[in-house]
Amino acid sequence: MTTFLSLVLAGVSVGAVYALVALGLNVTFWTTKTLNFGHGSLMMFCAMLMVYFASQGLVLALAAVLSLLVIAAFGIFIERFTVRPALKTNNSMGWVVSTLGFGIVLQGVAAKLFGSQAVAFPSILFDSEDFVTIFGLHVSLQYLVVLGLSVFLVVVLEAFLRLTRWGQAVRAVSHDPELGRVNGMPVNAIIVGSFVLSALLGGAAGLLVSQIGGTVDPAFGFNLVLFGFVAAVVGGMGSSVGALVGGIALGVLSKLIGGYVASAAEQPVAFAILMLMLALRPNGLLAQAEATKA
Amino acid sequence: MTRHGIRLLKFGVLAGTALAAMMPAHPTAAQETVKLGFTAALTGPFNEFGEGIRRGVEIAIEEWNKKGGVNGKKVELAEALDDQLVPDRAVQNMRRILDNEQIAALIAPSGSGPTLAVIDMLEADGRPVCNTQAQTPTIVYPKGPESPPRQNIFSLSIDNTVEAEKLAGVLASQYKKVGLLHESTGYGVTGAELIGKAIKAANQEATITSEAYNQRAQDMTAQLTRAQRAGAEVLMVVGLGADLAVIRKNMARLNINIPLYATAGGITPPYMEGAGNLVKGTRAASTKSFGLDEPPAATKTFLELYKAKHGFDRWWGNDPERPQISMATTVGTAYDCVNLLLNAMVKANSTKPKDIIKALEETKDFPAASIRAISFSPEKHRALTVDDLAVYEIDKQGDKVKLTIVQE
Repeated sequence: MTTFLSLVLAGVSVGAVYALVALGLNVTFWTTKTLNFGHGSLMMFCAMLMVYFASQGLVLALAAVLSLLVIAAFGIFIERFTVRPALKTNNSMGWVVSTLGFGIVLQGVAAKLFGSQAVAFPSILFDSEDFVTIFGLHVSLQYLVVLGLSVFLVVVLEAFLRLTRWGQAVRAVSHDPELGRVNGMPVNAIIVGSFVLSALLGGAAGLLVSQIGGTVDPAFGFNLVLFGFVAAVVGGMGSSVGALVGGIALGVLSKLIGGYVASAAEQPVAFAILMLMLALRPNGLLAQAEATKA
Repeated sequence: MTRHGIRLLKFGVLAGTALAAMMPAHPTAAQETVKLGFTAALTGPFNEFGEGIRRGVEIAIEEWNKKGGVNGKKVELAEALDDQLVPDRAVQNMRRILDNEQIAALIAPSGSGPTLAVIDMLEADGRPVCNTQAQTPTIVYPKGPESPPRQNIFSLSIDNTVEAEKLAGVLASQYKKVGLLHESTGYGVTGAELIGKAIKAANQEATITSEAYNQRAQDMTAQLTRAQRAGAEVLMVVGLGADLAVIRKNMARLNINIPLYATAGGITPPYMEGAGNLVKGTRAASTKSFGLDEPPAATKTFLELYKAKHGFDRWWGNDPERPQISMATTVGTAYDCVNLLLNAMVKANSTKPKDIIKALEETKDFPAASIRAISFSPEKHRALTVDDLAVYEIDKQGDKVKLTIVQE
């Protein structure tokens, strides 16, 4: 039973990070129907930047905030220079290449600035030895923090979308940007904002998952984006709650299969789920099917 | 002279001048040096290995050139190409190096993946090659350790077979249930198989649980809980330092408090930095010379040279009194390889492959930095023996890491 609960807890915690990544991908999908394939590099850069700021003597909280601000600026850059030009041509898929290219350039910049070796990532709130005992089970506080922060961010985002005027504007733009423009909505600002929000979510995910691993290097993040993408598709592309459910389901399932069947099956199972979901329920678990007007 | 004749003369002078400009000043100048070459991970996440090779090679070449070179010729590092530890790039680079017929000897790439990708090409070429880091046994002995070695490949690296024998000797005498975690690369799979077999050979009652992980995985809960369920009394990890840090932190989160043993990755900077204070008590096998209180004379010489050229950098570590043990395998073996190859050229008074290989096979008790004394023979192309390795235990006080030899 202890083994089962340990695997579930690790799965929920890692899955919560997948959910954050999925959410970051969802946000730009809402406004522009594009995905940032350089999302993994934003996660990496945020974590490496934080290590750098911390090494310069800044307190960890300030280092984290500063690195997130830099990542937010990258969000603006991505929208302005990699996505917007590509969207000027109808049905252009140029954004796939340009966002991926941006991610690769960012990897190179990180290697040049911080070195290409793995660097140690500091424990932000708790160390890996810190734990609480719940019903006799040893529960890592690092896992709990990752889980708590991820769920908090998903809830805040969902509340923002449903309860605020700006949130409703984002939803309106996601449905029909042209109509939003006609109605005087600041569509461009909303789109730029969505890229900033996406970058911030990526940065936060990078900080959280680096804490679990303990190290970060320029190649960090790519695998996580793949898992985040699977979580987004499983939960339903564009659904916040779906991203959370998809991420946690993916995390728990892969840990249980890794723990009880074979550890080598942990990664392939994620992609098996992706294929299955695309075949049986292409809209995901929680997204509504898209209605097309004749 | 007619105008036509003058034109012809002018054209002749111009053409002659142009031709002379294209010719080298001394036709033999290009051959006046003894040339060496290698491809390795000079950039990318594994650049500590390739850059280590370059540093070792350069220090040795500088020393030889100060002494007048080899048989009256200066030594030159003619090709130092970057493969980032990617096998495909190593193949392309090696093709370019082998196309340069003036290269007299080569250093093998860093890591088993790139080395295995180019090893058949190197064997077919026939020029002498010295392996500094790649651990897979088939690099030297393609048909098993009892069969003849590849005729032109010589190795100073920590071979998986030797490492497995050393670690299995320690583990089998103390534990009956061993959890083996290994990376899913050729190095990890071979290393784990050899350690498992060696433990079984030493203690038939021992049970071994073997689990693989991918490099850079951020969570190892599944692998660790499987080892825990199997009742492992000790965990043995075959892998790189950064991944070992993830495993050690994961052990702490899961409250798994069993002894942790590791291959040489356990005493590299990525593990020391990544796992923080959790490194205390970890044991790992690596070369002995750098860990001795009184290192051999050749080791001392190398350390002085390194200190003078590079100071206390990432390869040396932050203790001015003592270098990191990992420096022996990242820089020291490359320095030794160049010394061995050039020494063989001097003994053979030749740079022909057959002569160099014959001289290398006659090497007896050659004093080296990473291994106390190197001997080769036509059947023995691997320098390292079990006695050249030690098992270290890590201690940490404040920021200072201390390594103690617990098993010579």
